[in-house]
Amino acid sequence: MISHRDRNAQRISALDERAEALHLKRGMGIADARAMHPSIDVVEADPEADRRLLEGLADWCDRYTPLVALDGIDGLFLDVTGCTHLFGGERAMLDDILSRFFHQGFDVRAGLAATPGAAWAAARFAGDHIVQSGEEEALLVPLPLAALRIEPEIRASLESVGLRTAGAVMTAPRAPLARRFGASLLLRLDQALGRLDEAVSPRLPVAPLSVERHLAEPIMLTDDIERLVSLLATTLKADLERRGEGARRLALLLFRVDGAVSRIAVGTSRPLREPLLIQKLFHERLAALEQDIDAGYGFDLVRLSVLSAAAFDMQQADLTGETDDCDADIALFADRIRARLGDGAVLRPVTVESHLPERAVATVPFSEAPQRTSPPRKPDRNPLMTIYPPATIHPPATIYPLERPIRLFRSPEPIEVPATEMPEGPPMNFRWRRALYRVARAEGPERIAPEWWRGQGGEDAPTRDYFRIEDSDGRRYWLYRQGLYGASQVPPRWFMHGVFA
Amino acid sequence: MAMTAVARETVFALRRQIAKIEGTLPERLQAPARATPAGLPPDAGVTSRTLTIVRRGMAPPDAFLRTGAAPLDAALSGGLPKAALTEIHGAETRDAGAVAGFALSLASLILREQQPRLPILWIGTSEIFREAGFPYARGLHGLFGIEPGELLFSEAPRLVDALWVAEEAARMPALAAVILEIRGSPQRLDLTATRRLHARAQNAGRPVFLLRQAGEAEPTTAPVRLIVSAAPSASRETIAGPLAGSIGRAAFTVSIGKSRTALPGQFTLEWNPDEHVFEERRAGEERAKNPVPVVPASRRRKDPAPASGAVRAFAPVGSPAAISSTARDQPSRPQRPAHIGPRRAG
Repeated sequence: MISHRDRNAQRISALDERAEALHLKRGMGIADARAMHPSIDVVEADPEADRRLLEGLADWCDRYTPLVALDGIDGLFLDVTGCTHLFGGERAMLDDILSRFFHQGFDVRAGLAATPGAAWAAARFAGDHIVQSGEEEALLVPLPLAALRIEPEIRASLESVGLRTAGAVMTAPRAPLARRFGASLLLRLDQALGRLDEAVSPRLPVAPLSVERHLAEPIMLTDDIERLVSLLATTLKADLERRGEGARRLALLLFRVDGAVSRIAVGTSRPLREPLLIQKLFHERLAALEQDIDAGYGFDLVRLSVLSAAAFDMQQADLTGETDDCDADIALFADRIRARLGDGAVLRPVTVESHLPERAVATVPFSEAPQRTSPPRKPDRNPLMTIYPPATIHPPATIYPLERPIRLFRSPEPIEVPATEMPEGPPMNFRWRRALYRVARAEGPERIAPEWWRGQGGEDAPTRDYFRIEDSDGRRYWLYRQGLYGASQVPPRWFMHGVFA
Repeated sequence: MAMTAVARETVFALRRQIAKIEGTLPERLQAPARATPAGLPPDAGVTSRTLTIVRRGMAPPDAFLRTGAAPLDAALSGGLPKAALTEIHGAETRDAGAVAGFALSLASLILREQQPRLPILWIGTSEIFREAGFPYARGLHGLFGIEPGELLFSEAPRLVDALWVAEEAARMPALAAVILEIRGSPQRLDLTATRRLHARAQNAGRPVFLLRQAGEAEPTTAPVRLIVSAAPSASRETIAGPLAGSIGRAAFTVSIGKSRTALPGQFTLEWNPDEHVFEERRAGEERAKNPVPVVPASRRRKDPAPASGAVRAFAPVGSPAAISSTARDQPSRPQRPAHIGPRRAG
């Protein structure tokens, strides 16, 4: 028996068959129940764990249809439109679902109908029932109001006026019902009867393409999985070619025999459709996840789906039949690194228009947009342009300041400066990482003000005066003083920000 | 006679095979040859001071990366091997700037030769990027002319991952150079690991630079190990001569820690950020470029004030022994004008 706390009282939230046999009911206080049967075993409810279990089951149900939605805390919607024939018809599919759940140790009730509302009612009140299209009304008429998925308040008020079954509500005139009990009652009714469409919003986006293989004998070895991936990718390649696309994100779903589902995703820098390359990517990913994937008793269903695809540029080979595409090599290399070590493993610097040194370069994960070579430029009519090529006229777009360190610390490291020769001058010596450095030569200062339009400090934020320093051993550093001497009560602080070659 | 010729041919064939297995060019040190062995062009040997290095292999002419500093190239018998693992050591982590700068200047030299400029991959562990700073693309562009688009970084949390990335990258001809930077002397980077890197670099024909900050010299497969530290830079050149107290071009002290051909030696190189070439700094140049600060001579008094600073008795080049601070503060004795008698005490 499972209890939960509801309005300051411990109440029964769920109970098993033996407890039901003792005439205990859901919603009953624990104290009352204990008074009736002192020997009952009560467990505190754990909604989080219930949720995780339900999501695990929803994952498992992916084997029947990609459209799986959660329904409240204890139900699942499966949109099996167009999927039933894969399992030998509706009855066979329902039996398969029920028997597999039973063998996993779950007590499941299922209903199958043309509308979600009718299926819901059939599952919860009729039990293991297939409602043919058009029979929804016949199903609902004898059922209690709870089968209509309406709020308890509406149900209570309907019952107070004597409408106790769904059939009673159906025969009552619609306009007074809507006026008195709100639109939601009629909405639910119409949805259950198929007069209005109801969309089941799936948990996960549906992959545009997926291929799967049911295995008679479960597989356990990583090698077997990789071989299977290669087979599936070969099947996928034909579909991708027909659509003129390549995969940008791929997911591999491994359905374990006992119901657990592993989902492995890889991303690619450029559209991909070669089975060998796809297999390589999953090889790295599987190698990285080796500890995390528990094969258990093996996987009996493997599915490879394309989560997102992009247009695939065909590349023409040259006369010798070879395509020499270095970028493609690098893209594939980066994909493999990222598949194994995560997205941030390969970084690419991007210059940013900013005068703050640490903001002037951003490192972004390497991902290549599909590159097309720029179209040939039209000849310019300007006579000056023909005399002087454009490169000689236009200055380069960005002029880099020359004196920038080659390595920059991610966060400037504070240093101790005991004394400076002049208040605004460079330090005479400093202590960095507990070692003393004697300044032999110094250049500067270069004042860099904070970006007042971004920061919280506004215009009063302290400025930085940067110095190039060469110590007595010839090493060159980039230091700065934050703030000015005498400007405020707190003395300015010194930081080490980078090193020069 | 015929027998000896056949025997010699066999020996040469075997030697070539050994060289192929070892993956190096068959080179050896030889005393100055009285007569050039038959079959070798006379200019195959590069003359060093006392020893002649005779290259016996079929070395393609572009197998070596010429640094541009003639003595260093001569000592390395033509430059650094291009398709190989090259170790560049820094004695301490604080030398990371100089070590990285030297490796990048080599990469810049490589990029200059290539027409479609390929990217450079810099692999480091998280530790080294935290301790020594992350490469800064703007600075690299300004100093070495490497565009941000030609740079790729890979940061791996563990050394194992960094080594794996490096091995994968070293076999790719689509990268201009691979820089692997690690700190200390980890056990995992042993003879086997470096051999794998070296073999892949040889197959791909691309250099792999192994930067080791604060590491000890351990047996590795790399044919060349250089030890790099920062050298005091010369002053900036202006029209009116060197600008006193300024910090000029980046300078490196490079010593050869290991090489099959070179004798141990120490070289001071200066990187020219405008031309992107190395320049060898001469012994006298350093002295000329670091003049004592000019102070106007006193007009009123008879004896001109001694120039501030010190007239240094320079140690032989190569030993970085600095002048002690006491010697710097006081004028040295021979500088005192001769017509004034010895100063009396009190």
